[in-house]
Parts: sequence; structure tokens; C-alpha cells
Amino acid sequence: MSLLRTENLSKSFGELKVLNSVSISVEQGEVVCIIGPSGAGKSTFLRSLNQIEQITSGKIFIDDELFLHRENNTTVSSAQPAEYKRLLLEMGMVFQSFNLFPHKTALENIMLAPMHVKRLGRGEARSLARDLLGQVGLSDKADEYPARLSGGQQQRVAIARALAMQPKIMLFDEPTSALDPELVGEVLGVMRGLADSGMTMLVVTHEMSFAREAAVRIIFMCDGDIAEESEPDQMFTNPRNPRTRQFLNSIL
Amino acid sequence: MADVKRDPRRRRAAVAVLAALVVACAALAFTKPPMAQVERSISAELIEGAGNSYNLTGHNYLIFNIARGRNIKSAATDTYIGIAGSVLPMNSGAAKPIANVLFWIPPLLGGTRITVALTMVSVFAGVIASVFLALGKISKFPPLSAACRAYIFFFRGTPLLMQLFFIYYALPDIIPSLTINNKFLAAFIAFALNSAAYCAEIIRAAIQSIDKGQSEASRALGLSGAQTMRLVIIPQSVRRLIPPVANEFIMVLKDASLVSIIALTDLTQMTRSISSSAGNALVYVPAMVIYLVITAFFSFVFNKLETRFSVYQ
Repeated sequence: MSLLRTENLSKSFGELKVLNSVSISVEQGEVVCIIGPSGAGKSTFLRSLNQIEQITSGKIFIDDELFLHRENNTTVSSAQPAEYKRLLLEMGMVFQSFNLFPHKTALENIMLAPMHVKRLGRGEARSLARDLLGQVGLSDKADEYPARLSGGQQQRVAIARALAMQPKIMLFDEPTSALDPELVGEVLGVMRGLADSGMTMLVVTHEMSFAREAAVRIIFMCDGDIAEESEPDQMFTNPRNPRTRQFLNSIL
Repeated sequence: MADVKRDPRRRRAAVAVLAALVVACAALAFTKPPMAQVERSISAELIEGAGNSYNLTGHNYLIFNIARGRNIKSAATDTYIGIAGSVLPMNSGAAKPIANVLFWIPPLLGGTRITVALTMVSVFAGVIASVFLALGKISKFPPLSAACRAYIFFFRGTPLLMQLFFIYYALPDIIPSLTINNKFLAAFIAFALNSAAYCAEIIRAAIQSIDKGQSEASRALGLSGAQTMRLVIIPQSVRRLIPPVANEFIMVLKDASLVSIIALTDLTQMTRSISSSAGNALVYVPAMVIYLVITAFFSFVFNKLETRFSVYQ
């Protein structure tokens, strides 16, 4: 049973075709990494899944339920509103630029959505937030505002914030690309821990060592298309597609 | 100034000096010379007028007691200032303009009250209304957006003076049921409507200046559009709003002088009437000083507000 599946997902910005019929499937507990050159549509693909970008056509299934089906930029069918929202919240998202709420402390950032979307009481939300901050190793930063945190700390808070909605799958959109090199490790560490705990993850990344270690499958995207999809060893030692080879040669 | 801010000890000393000054002024204000003493000090020339031919005015303002007598027969005017329990004649030399200024201050402050009250209630109401106008303008519902756009276009595109005139004089002529007899109320309505249009643009710009990532993160967390506005976007806009709203406030404070057109006695109007009745243009000096003091005070308040809202920066 697939947790997340797309069928022929396409996205155009006007004339520009960014995603060209992308179909993937992610099983429960899998860690899948998406790699590829910039402009390949990796981020757009991730953002299309949780509706930050509106897809032009294609189908998205979550938990084997139809979440959204669009053709020619119009919605053909989608889950019922309540169900739609439930399925949407099964995806948690971590952004390249963290996007923490600067006017809220680390703890309040995590508490906000559980309180206002899930209607949790303040006390309950607070204890949930404290647990999650502990999980990402930032218990001592609970009352700091994001501006007082390092990039790596901010991203860890952002991960905790996404986890607070108890998603079934976590989407990571280049979570370490905006970080200073020495701060990348702490974020990858949290992500590894998350993967080890069995979280299903779809990760757009340029961290090849992370992809190689943590992923069960790697998708290489190029020009809005999946050029190659294989296990890490295969991908890194013996890529089939010449474009994959070219890309890996250029970065390794 | 910056040093005082940084060093808490010097700051405390400054506060202590200021407090001591306030206490001293209050103490002096309460030692008021008795009226009999004031009368005794008045010049023989005025006293000779006797009976009701001169009148005494006793003001109790800050540390000063001002007595002014006028002999009806000779039209001579004497001014005395009571300070700290004694009476000083202020009839000649440099003392005379000082006495004049002090004497004008109470009526000028009466006008100031109108100016400040009108500005405060108008900008307050304007800011509240402008939030809805701004949200209306950026809404994706075309009729609402168009209506808000038209409102802003109208109130920014016509002179405030004409809007005020229209509401007080023209509207009752066109629609008699919309007659407003209270001048202050009419001025408030005109200023608030006008201020709303200007503030709406300020608020729209502030809302749209918030990084897109904020609404993307909110959506990814399942917040509705209204929740995103209320919990994420607007709280962050507030700090960016303060400097331009402060600017608008000071503009309105000065534009409030337009109310003289409907014969409402604000600070400017009061100054003009004192100047013409006393035949002394010197009254403009204390009036402008009062404007500057108010402006400085509110700039200070808005600066403090901005600092308060910047705690997370």
C-alpha cells in the first residue's frame, strides 16, 4: 500500500512546463530522496503535493485515497472538504528557508497549528511542543525567538513544528541548502533519527552522503521529468542514464 | 541622549531629577497667593477705578497665578503673576510679553485639547476601518475589491478641506436627514474617513511586504486563510505599520487646523482669534511651540511602541 502516489503530475507556469507527467509512489516507512540539477522541478514537485503550487494536471493519492485530480488547470475531482483537509495534513513540510514565524518563540511556533487547526488546549499543545523540542535537541531554546537561533536550530524547530501535526509523511524541500556548512550536520542528524524511527520521508536534497545512507530509493529528476529511479548503490556506482552520470560527476 | 539610554544608572538619575522637578512644580502650584494680596498689589491707578470698573481674573495654571486687571475708564491693563505665594507685577519691559504668553496659554491649551482629541479619535477609527479596507482591496472577490479601491481613490483624490466642507455644509443641503449639528462629530467623521483611505494603503503595503514563505508555511500546517492573516501576517505587519502610521498621525494633527472652516476652535483657530482680538501676533510663537511639543511627544510614544513590537527582531 502506498502512502503517497502521483500519476502523471504536470505543472506549467504559463508557457513554461516545469513538471512533465511525474509519477512516483512512496510506501509506508520509506525514505526517498529526490536529486537533480537546479531548475529540474524538484521543489515545484514537492510544493505541488501539499497544494502550495496548484498542479496543471494529474492525480495525487494519499493513503490510496484520491486526494486531487486535475486536468487542464481545473479540478476534476477531489476528496470531500473534511477528508481533503485530513489528507493534506498527513503531509508535513520543511522548507529551505525555514519559514518560522518570527513573532513567535520556538515553543509557540510549534504550538500554533495544533492549537488552531487541531483545537488542542494550550496546556496539551505546550507539552506536545516541549516533547518535540526535546526530540530535536532544543529543549533549552523553547522561549527564544527565531532571530536568536542559528540556521540549524531554526530548521530543527521547523521540523518539530511540522511533526506537531503528526503527519504520516514528511516532505523536505532542500532543508540544508540555506545553512552554513558546519550547521548541516545537526539537521541531517535529526532527519536520520526521524528516518530511523520509521517516518516516511520524501527529501529533495543536494546532500549526496545523506541520500546514499538514509534513502531506500533515489529519484533523479531532470527537466521536469524523472530521468532515473533506483537504489542508492546502483545510482551512485552505476547510473544507467547518461544525464545522471553527468550530474553526479559534476557534483561529486 | 544615547548614553543616557544605554547606562541604566544615568537613566535612573535622569528620571529622579525629572521627578523632583515635577514635585517642585506641584508644590509651587499649590501655594497660591490669596486674592486679597493680589488686589493689594494692583496699581493705584487701577484701584482708583474702584468698584466693578476693573475685573480680576485668577488663573491657577501650573506654577503661575495670573491676575489681569483692566481699568474701564482709562483702558489701562495691569498684569500680575503670582508665583510661590508672592505677587509680581508684569507691566513693563521684558516681563510684559512673558505675561502675555502665560496669559494666552490656558485658552491655547483649550484649543489644543480639540486638536489632539480630534486627531487621536480620527486616526484610531481610521486605522481600525483601514484594516478592513486593506483586506477588502487585496481580496479576490472583485466587487469588494473594486468598492474598496473606489473608496480609497475618492478619499485620496479629493482635498480633505473639501470633504470636511461637504460633510458639514453640503450634505445637509443635499440630504437633510444627514445633518450633523455637532461640529466636532462632523470633523471626526471627515477626518476618520480620510485617514482610513490613507492608512488602508499603508496596511496593504505592510501586509504584502511579509515574506510569502510565511503564508506557505501556514498553509502547509493547515491554517485557513483567515487564520493565517490573523495569527501570522497581521501580527508581523504591526511593527512595519508603526512608522508610517506615526507619520499619518502627525499629518492629521496638522491638518486638524482645517476645522476652522466649520468654526471649530482648535489650536490654530484659537491662535488666530487671540491674535486678532489682542492685536498681538506674538501669540503664534507659543502656539507653534505647543504643536512642536505635541509632535515630539507622539513621536516618542510611537518610537516606544516600535521598540516594544521589535522584541523578536
